[in-house]
Amino acid sequence: MSPVLSLVNVTKSYKQDGRSIQVLNGISLEIGEEFIAMLGPSGCGKTTLLRIIAGLEKPDSGRVDIPENAKVGFVFQFPTLLPWMTILDNVALPLKAQGMGWGEARERARKYLSLTGLQAFEDFYPREMSGGMKQRVNLARALAVEPMILLMDEPFSNLDPLTAESLRSEILDLWTLGVTTVRSIIMVTHSVDEAILMADKLVILTPRPAKIAGVIEVRIPRPRDRRSAEFQKLEDRVYELIAA
Amino acid sequence: MLYLLLCAAASVLRMLAAYVLSVLLALVFGVAMARSRSVERFLLPILDILQSIPILGFFPAALAFFVTVLPAGIGVEAAAVFLIITSQLWNLIFGVYSSVKSLDPMLFDMSKVYRMGRATVFFYLCVPASRNSLVANSLISWAGGWFFLTSSEIITMGAAEHRLLGLGTFIMEAFERGDSYGFYLGVASLLTVILATYILVWNPAGETILERELISLRPVYSTIESSVGSLWSTLGNLMIKAEARIRLPSFAGKAIVIAVLTSIAYFLVGGLKQLPSFDIESVYGSLLEVAYELPLSLARVSTIVAFSVFLSLAATYASYARKGIMLVVLLVGEVLASIPAVVWWPLLASIALGSPLGPYMVATVVMLQGSLWYLYFNLIVYGLAGLRKDLEEMSRVYRIRGLWYLRSVFIPSLLPSLASGALSAWGGAWNSTVAAEYVSFGERVIDIGGVGAVLNRKAAKGDALGVAMSALLLSLVITVFNKALWKRFFEFIERRYGGGE
Ligand SMILES: Nc1ncnc2c1ncn2[C@@H]1O[C@H](COP(=O)(O)OP(=O)(O)O)[C@@H](O)[C@H]1O
Ligand SMILES: [Mg+2]
Repeated sequence: MSPVLSLVNVTKSYKQDGRSIQVLNGISLEIGEEFIAMLGPSGCGKTTLLRIIAGLEKPDSGRVDIPENAKVGFVFQFPTLLPWMTILDNVALPLKAQGMGWGEARERARKYLSLTGLQAFEDFYPREMSGGMKQRVNLARALAVEPMILLMDEPFSNLDPLTAESLRSEILDLWTLGVTTVRSIIMVTHSVDEAILMADKLVILTPRPAKIAGVIEVRIPRPRDRRSAEFQKLEDRVYELIAA
Repeated sequence: MLYLLLCAAASVLRMLAAYVLSVLLALVFGVAMARSRSVERFLLPILDILQSIPILGFFPAALAFFVTVLPAGIGVEAAAVFLIITSQLWNLIFGVYSSVKSLDPMLFDMSKVYRMGRATVFFYLCVPASRNSLVANSLISWAGGWFFLTSSEIITMGAAEHRLLGLGTFIMEAFERGDSYGFYLGVASLLTVILATYILVWNPAGETILERELISLRPVYSTIESSVGSLWSTLGNLMIKAEARIRLPSFAGKAIVIAVLTSIAYFLVGGLKQLPSFDIESVYGSLLEVAYELPLSLARVSTIVAFSVFLSLAATYASYARKGIMLVVLLVGEVLASIPAVVWWPLLASIALGSPLGPYMVATVVMLQGSLWYLYFNLIVYGLAGLRKDLEEMSRVYRIRGLWYLRSVFIPSLLPSLASGALSAWGGAWNSTVAAEYVSFGERVIDIGGVGAVLNRKAAKGDALGVAMSALLLSLVITVFNKALWKRFFEFIERRYGGGE
């Protein structure tokens, strides 16, 4: 199986106060049709790596190989919605920007809003919605461009635990049922538990400058039980790798 | 009577044309400045200088460029619209600029991830983000436009005089004829028009968009809002479609900017050639004259600003204590701020000519009108909105009242908006020196000295170059003051009283 996306020796540093801080120190990774969780301590360069994959930033050296015309969806850490637009239009805007008419764009936006359980709220404005609902809009917008690759940057870190848990299982359902166009997911997180619960493969990064400390396949069948012995065992292994 | 109506219509149309152009220019330049470092670095200092050039300083440019370059009828009309724009554009640009600049940068990342083009970002991110500040600033700019209306309808430079059909001209001509009935009729219709535009258009806009209560009538505004809204979104959709179809090469944006700048430069040079030859002696002369008269105006302006701070704080507190007062004072302020500077002189002619101190009293009124309202609007629109509910409640719980409340809660909370209001008031006071320090009633000339008077004297002699040079020097001085004094003051206020805990 040929990879959907590959990173070849990606490096990046930032200039700050005249000093250069290296953030990514040669990241190479092949990603197929799978759900990847990228784990690493806070400030190690996870967001930077996602931004490079999304084309928001250029690597200093190395490359990101993505098939031509492959669309990318991005679930931002914060909802990043336009406060002056209804959620329907927020989801439709990226489609509109690509030259679709409003009618068609809204039609498609409706489809993805109902996939994320928001069909009843399409006329709401972001300020009228809870954090969890806004994060769902963020997801619906990412799915509505019908991407091949879905990037998620700590998508649950700003939600209360209950809301986070239900959004996790909804995303897992969408992924396992294969009702979207997404073929690869890369999710950044600093929660080991969340990573093992959701992903097919864990990519563990070192503290800054980030290198890949290890890659672990998660072979536990879904739905996964956090209290099962194999879950616990894997969790211990990951913590060992992080501590090393 | 029909003639009066015609004049009123002409003035309103002229104001409208200038306002629409100002808003479009403000959006384009404000967004460009906020989005591009190089545009920002280039335009910010230029705008700083332009905004402190008094309207008279733009006369030579207006004459040289529009009147001589364009065909006769259109040229003078275009010059008048240009002059009105110079009295309302700057705060609009700065408003758009700071709104876009303070947008969450993640929104722009979002727009990049989803490959939104410039048109989409402009129409759906930048413009909606600027809406509040555009409306708030329009309340002020609309008044600013009227304040200098007469100055833009009668453009004089020495012997060359251009008069346009309009209310400002009507009022001045009636006064010059000694036709007091016509004069008061003109002033009354001017007041009616100004009042109507506020009650029917701006106040409803302020109510809807800024969510503040204002004296207003809705129906007309609703029609305007829906038609402007649909026109605007049609335009937006067309641009976005066009952009999605035609992928311009990446250097196209830069090429357009360069083309616009070169053509402006080309016309400016062409206009400058029309001016009398550059005489270094006379330039020195006017620089000396400005330097000599500057302290007098500086003293006046500072006094007026201090007085305005005091008055506006008092009015704001009264408005805060009783909402009814606010509604009335705001409307009165909107109208008073709009009364053309030049009209105050004939209006208060009996005072002005009655005693030796008369001219100074009227000059004070004119300068106060040109500065006070910036402060008051700023305090009411931004200041009271920033008064924190928790601090109010805290004061109620601990019974902090009266003067004590004013000193420890009310005034410190207002300080950030007081400071930015004071900066505009200071600019406004400088601009109004042009109308306050010199006026001519047919034969009689009142000249109380100062830089504003210098500009007028030079304009009366037809010394266009002198006017341009003096205005430039004046604005440089003001800019230096802004950078050296106001900027520090702002930083201090922001550190000490801005933001949260
Ligand atoms: N635009 C920037 N300029 C300077 N430093 C940056 C920039 N973006 C990120 N950094 C630095 O790079 C490091 C990694 O940041 P980030 O990728 O956001 O980490 P995280 O793994 O927490 O998502 C941090 O130390 C941060 O301070
Ligand atoms: Mg991060």
